Amino acid sequence: MGLRWYHFAMWAGFIALMYAMPELVSKGTLRTFIFANFLAVFAISWDVLSGRTGYISFGHPFLIGIGAYTTAILTKRFDVAIEISIPIAVVVTMIASTLFILPALRIRGSYFALVTLAFMELIYQLVQVIRPDLTGGTRGMSGIQTLTRGAVNGYYMSLSLMLAVAISMWLLMRTRVGTALSAIGMSEDSVLGSGLSTTRLKLFAFLTGAFVAGLGGAFYVHYLGSIAPRALFDINFVFTIIVAALIGGSSTIIGPMVGAFFLTYLLEYLRPYLPGAERYFIYGGIALLLYMYQPKGIYHIVMQAWERFKPGKSA
Amino acid sequence: MSHPLEITNLVKRFGGLTATDDVSFHIEQGQSVGLIGPNGAGKTTIFSQIMGELRQNSGTIRLYGEDIGDLSTPARIRRGVSRTYQVPRPFGDMSVVENIRVGLMPDSIWKMITQGPDRDREIELALSVGFSENDLNRRPDELSMGDLRKLEMARTMATGPSVMLLDEVFAGLTKGEISQIGELIQQMRRDGMTFLIVSHDLGALEPLIDRAIAINYGSKIAEGAYADVISDPNVRSSYLGVA
Amino acid sequence: MTQIIIQGLLLSGLYALIAMGFTLIFSIGRVLNLAYGAYLLIGGYVYFYFAQMMGMPKLVGVLLAVIVGAAMGLAKYRMIVKPLKGDHVAIEISTLILAIVLQSGVILAFGDSSKILLPIIPGVERLAGATIPYSNLLAAIVSWAILISLYFFVNKTHTGRAMQAVSMDAKGAAISGIDSDRINMITWGISGALGALAGVFFASYTQLTPSMWVAPLIISVAIVIVGGIGSIIGTLIVAHIIGFMEIIVTAMIAPELRGVFTMVLIIGVLVIRPQGLFGREEL
Ligand SMILES: Nc1ncnc2c1ncn2[C@@H]1O[C@H](COP(=O)(O)OP(=O)(O)OP(=O)(O)O)[C@@H](O)[C@H]1O
Ligand SMILES: [Mg+2]
Repeated sequence: MGLRWYHFAMWAGFIALMYAMPELVSKGTLRTFIFANFLAVFAISWDVLSGRTGYISFGHPFLIGIGAYTTAILTKRFDVAIEISIPIAVVVTMIASTLFILPALRIRGSYFALVTLAFMELIYQLVQVIRPDLTGGTRGMSGIQTLTRGAVNGYYMSLSLMLAVAISMWLLMRTRVGTALSAIGMSEDSVLGSGLSTTRLKLFAFLTGAFVAGLGGAFYVHYLGSIAPRALFDINFVFTIIVAALIGGSSTIIGPMVGAFFLTYLLEYLRPYLPGAERYFIYGGIALLLYMYQPKGIYHIVMQAWERFKPGKSA
Repeated sequence: MSHPLEITNLVKRFGGLTATDDVSFHIEQGQSVGLIGPNGAGKTTIFSQIMGELRQNSGTIRLYGEDIGDLSTPARIRRGVSRTYQVPRPFGDMSVVENIRVGLMPDSIWKMITQGPDRDREIELALSVGFSENDLNRRPDELSMGDLRKLEMARTMATGPSVMLLDEVFAGLTKGEISQIGELIQQMRRDGMTFLIVSHDLGALEPLIDRAIAINYGSKIAEGAYADVISDPNVRSSYLGVA
Repeated sequence: MTQIIIQGLLLSGLYALIAMGFTLIFSIGRVLNLAYGAYLLIGGYVYFYFAQMMGMPKLVGVLLAVIVGAAMGLAKYRMIVKPLKGDHVAIEISTLILAIVLQSGVILAFGDSSKILLPIIPGVERLAGATIPYSNLLAAIVSWAILISLYFFVNKTHTGRAMQAVSMDAKGAAISGIDSDRINMITWGISGALGALAGVFFASYTQLTPSMWVAPLIISVAIVIVGGIGSIIGTLIVAHIIGFMEIIVTAMIAPELRGVFTMVLIIGVLVIRPQGLFGREEL
């Protein structure tokens, strides 16, 4: 896979730093980090599904929500153990993602983005009216079993999840399948003309993205202990995920992580000045400027500098 | 003895327009055939039907005797036919070798994951179409039209075809690039490749083909030795103002 | 029954108006302009600010909303769409970000809570047991008037035909001497103005909230796509299908299911017949 010593060194340094974090920062900051970890998982998932293939999903919370609701309902209403309900939630999310593949086989570009947005709106409406005794209707659910107590444990849990997802996706996307998925985003016709079944590749991207989204959604709901449809199936949430992936750097794994931490921090930093949703004004403004300046994201800006003094300048 | 490529009574309609009108022809093993005709004659449409990117309304397409008219594009490519595009469509953010890598990939996600790329073969293909060592990590936006066509050839060759369809291989090239690509095609002919070549540059096409087929308004109007086809009155009038 | 027909006509007229500004952009640039929803939002709030908070005449409020909408359309074309040169993914994403920025700008300026717009014309008309607020009637009449004039503008005037030419084949239009940049500016301006106007009516139909733009955005995009891109008649027909379907579902099945049916219709048509019910066959 072309792993080099500095890959190991960077991952090791990063992991060590992240695990030492509870010693270095306050509990309040740690809570911010927890959100950043989850956001990184969602952004990586979005990037695997959309960032590479160019099939932009504006309905990612649809997948996250299915994972979250499945495990929440199973544990709370049917007393299923978490160890069983989370895998089920992941599988259900992956099955639900095949609903995305149907439009992706026939339509491209803007149309696909719209269908996914409609999917999110549909499920938002559905959870409120179909079996509110199970879903909690408009108010959602609370008192869902949590996996951890306290900020420190919550942090370790979210960090481990994030690292597991990041490293496995990083390894997966370094193989030729990552190249093939990115190729779809650049010219789908040429991928087909290279003899590769784009249907199968897209299905793979959607299933992998859904796997991560479902996993992230399930863990997230067992961290929060509650679920609220309005906050989950929200255009602001879509926006935060996509911007994290893009600002950091699409088609990479580090990029969405960087973006998630950058944005969570920005949002937290703005809190004293702008306590409510109006924070998104500045947040969005910065995102827009960064995006218009360099659509490939922060990762790309840093990489250009790195290329200049890369150890063992061979490839 | 079945032919590498055989098309019978092919028809393709776009609404009221018949872009391929009952076309039949075949190519023998190791032959190189030129497909000529004025703009909009329907040349590219025939290629797209052979590759399965467009579905014919009727007629059959056979590859080595097998009817491939209902197969998916990747399935056809696996059986040994491959094409280049009139307008090159490289992967914009990938280097020359990475572009070729996509062409070399097996159509199996499992193998893509578990087996690494064949770097030697990637470089060999890049060099064989005339790239130099320095070009290997260039990106498409740094390449000339000639280089883009070479890249398109290399990626097409990477799929391991025995029949190659080349669409406007010479358009937008310099004299030097034309002779370079011409030489490459000659080399591959000597190695036994079967070709169907579309070109408006008849001068460059002539030495590369064994015979020619002319079409106009979707119908075949002449077929035979290049000199005969080009002097055919129907062909001459279809090209009036062009040649 | 009469109630349903009247309500259906009113809502459909409103939807048609909302979708009309969208169809212009979509047929010309083929870009999903997610910030179109923001025109509605800004239109509603501009009207609210001038007509209700400042106490200016209502007509002036509507006029200002339209002007601000047009200016936004132009600014967006200049500053975002043109620099990104037809990169669909980038345009979709940056218009999404822009919509969020505008939404939070509204929250910053007016707060999170919803506002009730005073009707443009107070009073109701009773007709065969149905209650029709005058402002809803006005909205329907205005949208019909605009639809008809737009139809004639696009099909009969020189500029309108140039717009059509650009939408079918930008290169061909350029060859025949059409200044596509100017046409684009006009289109984006008209689209912004229509969006803002629709926003005033839509807000007085429902209420004014910072998140009021998402649902009408989805509905208008859907109307345009289901109706077939570039087809004003198709847009009109589908606006009525969706409008009536929503009223019928609300009246006869359950009000909560209103949105569900709309989304299912949108998804269904996009998947089964992506070129729309009345559109040209191409994507
Ligand atoms: N997808 C399509 N939909 C409708 N009409 C099409 C489509 N593709 C091609 N055509 C039409 O079919 C005819 C044949 O086109 P084609 O591209 O095959 O011609 P060509 O011989 O390759 O021309 P050129 O020399 O310009 O490349 C043209 O009139 C073209 O406009
Ligand atoms: Mg052609």
